Amino acid sequence: MKIDTKHIAKLSRLSLTKKEEETFTPQMETILESASVLQEVDTSKIQPMKTRIPFKELREDIPERSLKQEEVIRNAPHSENGYIRVYGEIFGGIEES
Amino acid sequence: MLEKQVHTNLENKYDLIVGLEIHVQTNTSSKMFCSCPTGYFQEEPNTHVCPVCLGLPGALPIPNKRAIELCILMGLALNCDIDNEIHFDRKHYFYPDLPKGYQISQYKRPICSDGYIETTSGTRIDIERIHQEEDVAKSTHHVEKTTGREYSLIDYNKSGVSLIEIVTKPCIRTAKDAKDFATEIRKIARYLGISDADMEKGQMRCEPNISLQEKGKWKYKDGQILPIGDYKLNPKVEIKNIGSITAVEKSIQYEVKRLTKELDEGKEIKQQTRGWNAEKNITGYQRTKETADDYRYMPEPDIPVIEVSDADVERISEELVELPVERMKRYIRELGLSEYSAEVISSSRESAEYFEKLYERLKKDLEEKEAALEASNWLMGPVFAIGNLDVGIEDLALLILAFKKGRITKNKAEELLNQSVKENKDLSKELEEVIRQKENLINNLDEIVREVIKKNTKAVEDYRGGKQATLGFLVGQVMQATKGAADPNEVRDILIRELKE
Repeated sequence: MKIDTKHIAKLSRLSLTKKEEETFTPQMETILESASVLQEVDTSKIQPMKTRIPFKELREDIPERSLKQEEVIRNAPHSENGYIRVYGEIFGGIEES
Repeated sequence: MLEKQVHTNLENKYDLIVGLEIHVQTNTSSKMFCSCPTGYFQEEPNTHVCPVCLGLPGALPIPNKRAIELCILMGLALNCDIDNEIHFDRKHYFYPDLPKGYQISQYKRPICSDGYIETTSGTRIDIERIHQEEDVAKSTHHVEKTTGREYSLIDYNKSGVSLIEIVTKPCIRTAKDAKDFATEIRKIARYLGISDADMEKGQMRCEPNISLQEKGKWKYKDGQILPIGDYKLNPKVEIKNIGSITAVEKSIQYEVKRLTKELDEGKEIKQQTRGWNAEKNITGYQRTKETADDYRYMPEPDIPVIEVSDADVERISEELVELPVERMKRYIRELGLSEYSAEVISSSRESAEYFEKLYERLKKDLEEKEAALEASNWLMGPVFAIGNLDVGIEDLALLILAFKKGRITKNKAEELLNQSVKENKDLSKELEEVIRQKENLINNLDEIVREVIKKNTKAVEDYRGGKQATLGFLVGQVMQATKGAADPNEVRDILIRELKE
């Protein structure tokens, strides 16, 4: 099974060295091959396992208290005036969807 | 010169094909999958967030019933089929505004599908789907002064706010139709209380997909653009960052010019996303688009399948009202309004309902068409000029009727209306007072006329001596004495009678 490690890395915003790429590619291909055994199982007559809930039991639209700003910021390595600060290189050039 | 050339080429060589994606934040009090409050506009950053909308490990989404009701309501307004099961999926991509690493959205089974609406110009727009999803956080981009390093500041208050996405089929053929469609969606969202749909606040976002295809080389079948023969379709360009309804039209017009030029020069067009620059009125390259495969959609395992019964849909449909285009058509057909008046009045539910109440009231005293015309004229003129719809219907109706019965002039009526609004006075009382004063004056008209004759002996002599023109002067004198309240024709008659004696 062939895998495009470069493309996968790009989608995950990871920059891999040539050497890492060479190491990871066969490893990921082995993982995929092992998992592909599952695709041999005939599931055509099996209902997907999904729980169901009637519409009227959904959550009512009532707002509740949120976290305090200091609690939100506490886990962030960087922050500024209540905003969480992140450095851009890993997200370079990717626009929000 | 270039413009003309491009225009001719578009007319002769290419067809414009547009599909529109419109995101609308729906009007709920809490977020889509958690109970954080939604009203984040101008609030402190990161104060409307919790473990769910921050994507903290182990936090689970709990869908908001009202949000889904509003999505279904929009679907019903746009004549869509409503699915009896709701399935959520995860759409994966990595960006700091998306803390979970995926957005909860809907992939293969949107709640609403296969609808249509008609715009005010009568064009039918086919709806592919409307699905429910969640909004992302707000990020702003900066550069560190000392190091030159780029960084972003993130406010998660918007993260997880209920968002619906309306997708049309690629059936739009002109920039104006795209604009009209967006306008109609905004009107409907507001009519039904689905959203305030304020584009400047980001509550509504439009993203056109645009391509140019050679004339006669393609066909529109089952909601898709298909090539004829061995023609290869040109790829689509998607435009983002559109901040107003007019920019929908302008950005498409710009892309038409740009793409026509590229095609004429034989350049290969790449599927891409471009951003609209409202200051320069141009689009700029942003990125090549990720394909659906790249999003690695998978069923959202944390949310059960939601079963929607016919009774649920029935209950939601009770919130439907007569929609703007239907109202507009009825005003033209039944009430004889002009197309322009009907469109303006029906554009908001508030003005349409005000108009209808005023019309119903005037109809008690006036003939139907006349009642409709007066209601429309007064609403579009003096009332819109005031800037709100706080003037009481009964007060306004009495004022209009006093004018229609000739008891006051139109100018006086408008003056009274503006004055009572400005000085916060009771319009009906003011009107009564003006009419009372006027009637007093008119009752004394004979006397006033005699007074004027007595005072202007020279003019009276001239008139009696055959100078007919002097009569106008005398009428003017009487009008002045009555402060303009008298009817000049009546004054003239009395003067002629009195001068004979």
